[in-house]
Amino acid sequence: MSRPGFVLEVDDRTPPMIVHEGLGFRLESFPLGTRVVYPPESIPAVPDVDEAIQHALLNPLDSEPLPALLRPGMRLTIAFDDLSIPLPTMKAPDIRGRIIEAVLTMAAEAGVDDVKLIAANALHRRMTAAELKHIVGERVFRSFYPQGDLYNFDAEDRDELTHLGTTEKGEDIEISKRAAESDLLVYVNVNLVAMDGGHKSVGIGLASYKSLRHHHNAKTMVHSRSFMDHKHSEMHHSAWRMGRIIKDTVKVFQIETTLNNDVFPSSFSFLQKREWEWSVKDQASMLGVRRGLSVAPPKLKHKMFHDMRSVYGLTGVNAGEVEAVHEKTLEKVHAQHSVEVNGQSDVLVMGVPYLGPYNVNSSMNPILAACMGLGYYFNSYRGQPVVRKGGAVILYHPLDEGFNQLHHPSYVDFYEEVLAESTDPAVVGEKYEQQFAQDPWYIHLYRTSHAYHGVHPFYMWYWIAHALDHVDEVIWVGGNRKAAARMGFRAATTLQDALEMASGTVGTSPSITYLHNPPHLLADVR
Amino acid sequence: MSSFISGGVSDLKRTARGWRWGRRSLVPRSAEPYLLPAQQTVFPSDWSRKRPAMAVREVVQKAGLEPLFRSQVRTKVEGLDVLDRIEGPVIFAANHASHLDTPLILLSLPDEWRRKTGVAAAADYFFDTWWRAVGSSLFFNTFPIDRRGGSMATTPGEVLADGWSLVIFPEGTRSKDGWMGNFRMGAAFLAHEHGVPVVPVAHRGTFAAMPRGQGWPSPGRRQLTIRFGEPLRPREGESVREFAPRIKHAVATLLDEDRSTWWEARRRAATGATPDPGGPDVAQWRRVWEQSQSPAAEGPARRLRAWGRR
Repeated sequence: MSRPGFVLEVDDRTPPMIVHEGLGFRLESFPLGTRVVYPPESIPAVPDVDEAIQHALLNPLDSEPLPALLRPGMRLTIAFDDLSIPLPTMKAPDIRGRIIEAVLTMAAEAGVDDVKLIAANALHRRMTAAELKHIVGERVFRSFYPQGDLYNFDAEDRDELTHLGTTEKGEDIEISKRAAESDLLVYVNVNLVAMDGGHKSVGIGLASYKSLRHHHNAKTMVHSRSFMDHKHSEMHHSAWRMGRIIKDTVKVFQIETTLNNDVFPSSFSFLQKREWEWSVKDQASMLGVRRGLSVAPPKLKHKMFHDMRSVYGLTGVNAGEVEAVHEKTLEKVHAQHSVEVNGQSDVLVMGVPYLGPYNVNSSMNPILAACMGLGYYFNSYRGQPVVRKGGAVILYHPLDEGFNQLHHPSYVDFYEEVLAESTDPAVVGEKYEQQFAQDPWYIHLYRTSHAYHGVHPFYMWYWIAHALDHVDEVIWVGGNRKAAARMGFRAATTLQDALEMASGTVGTSPSITYLHNPPHLLADVR
Repeated sequence: MSSFISGGVSDLKRTARGWRWGRRSLVPRSAEPYLLPAQQTVFPSDWSRKRPAMAVREVVQKAGLEPLFRSQVRTKVEGLDVLDRIEGPVIFAANHASHLDTPLILLSLPDEWRRKTGVAAAADYFFDTWWRAVGSSLFFNTFPIDRRGGSMATTPGEVLADGWSLVIFPEGTRSKDGWMGNFRMGAAFLAHEHGVPVVPVAHRGTFAAMPRGQGWPSPGRRQLTIRFGEPLRPREGESVREFAPRIKHAVATLLDEDRSTWWEARRRAATGATPDPGGPDVAQWRRVWEQSQSPAAEGPARRLRAWGRR
């Protein structure tokens, strides 16, 4: 029986708490009365994954069973989420590979010859062969990759895009031509958090810049409250409008999966537990890891964390019509992540871990750290933000990892040139987005190397637009001062210093809430 | 290198303080409703009543526990003569106000009785880890009982059948304010079932010397008093339900006797005027206040000195 998430109130009995900060973590003693939001424990996994997959494919929601949709001579496209989810990467075999195998087994039985597998990476970087192989599994990789039938989506290949029209609000819908012209598009997703899935899968994962710019902008993001709640997210409303038109053009068979919160492997199991329940072994592991990290060179630290593979349990798999499936999916996601929180606080504290969606096998540069803290974690709410309007956010991250030149070349220029001029998401978008989006060198790197698209750092900055609009103060504990200043923030050495600095905004005895994630949580703020 | 060591020491100190090394860990109050049910890991204690363990215990108690105990508190023992008139095994039923109660009772008993007396201790508290189980068995003759009524590897009946006497605290837990609580049926039931007498035991001063939450006796060698009463046996046809209150009354009378004199206590008992051992119905602070006063010592406190002063 897994225990629900809850809100702890720090008292004299509370031991120090783990706060993640990049490639490490610290023990923090919060002021008495601080609220600490703990995610629910892992909910039970399905007993038999293969049986659950078969059941979903044969008993889909608002759709015929998958075998009935397959016939000889048809064009079948299987699209799947890229390596940005789940986080951390799942221990092999990846659930997407297992589902794709089941789908392909049915397709083979039905005599389908024309099959293509497309990684729905939109403007994310192309995955390497090894990364693709990890997701789809060796058998699928061997059967499709050498012939070029398993590939990354290329949002800049004009010949391979098709314009399906515009929504009633004038939003362009331009997606993968192969997907749009298929007789059946099967989408295999991992719904790690509430913002994933639904019409966002095809409508965003297989879309080009021309389509994405309608919802990936500062104005939309400020009105996505939050983007973890699709019914109150402007970004999702736009994706839903597009998805409904896509649905009229191509038959989409959506397969969504949900995972439990078994994020950390056994060697880091103390990070998964509530601190006061740590055994002597957990305390010894924590002390050992802390000592190891204190002497490990950066490369080794990076390897220690990035080699971590999660042993997620599958909590559900649903297939069929996109919206019906997504409703079921969200029930499971909320069961795993949702924690009821009463009221807002003056200060929100969050520890930014080593990993976000855009630095898998890469480095967490300052822009990505900001996106992770002020984008993803800040937006991990339903109802209203955990921090009040005009409050302060305190984040933990050293902001010192630097930029990965292979993966994030445009980030360097964005950081050095654009942020030097303005840190206002609306202003930088207005002035520089087109230039970065159309830069031929960035497009070349995106298409032929493993670089994120030139416009991607702008999206990271739009991601934090809602937080910047909502709070008056952002302070990074342990953060590099120059990096924080470049992004328009301030840095402090300790939590006490940060609270002192924030006192001008929130007073000397503010109410404080700390979001104790990872594992993932979704604060349901009443 | 120095930062590695100083960082390690600082982490170690922080962890030792935060997770209360050497003491029982605490759960934040707001997390109490979300605690996992206690694990039922109970370590066996049969070995502790075998000869090798008894030999080790003799050394531990005589060379370690007793000198330490006497260095921290002063004791006054009365009524041991009752043990001359009976043969074991018996059940010692005592009030319970402190962790000092067990060593006080054990170290007050004559050696031949002490060696073969087991103390019923809460399994969930004293037997949840191996080192706590071994430590409490060796120092304090304990064996586990389940406070919630579950069954254990060793039952108190088996301990009695081995010819060992038992110390039972019928309240089931330490008093929160030093006054006596309700008695459970366990002691009466065992006496009834196994035909052994119950020796009521009353002591005072342990709450004042080391109440709940305190890990060591207060300084100043506080006075403790302990009084053993006449053995009680179930009467012909007397049920457990009727016998249990008699045990409680006997302990209450002993407490009264300890406060006043044997004669006054007897007269009050005869007229049913024995003071309620549960204490007066007054504000909580006054109850605690009264109990936090050690019993009066007879004569000036004798200080332990290696060499007397001229």
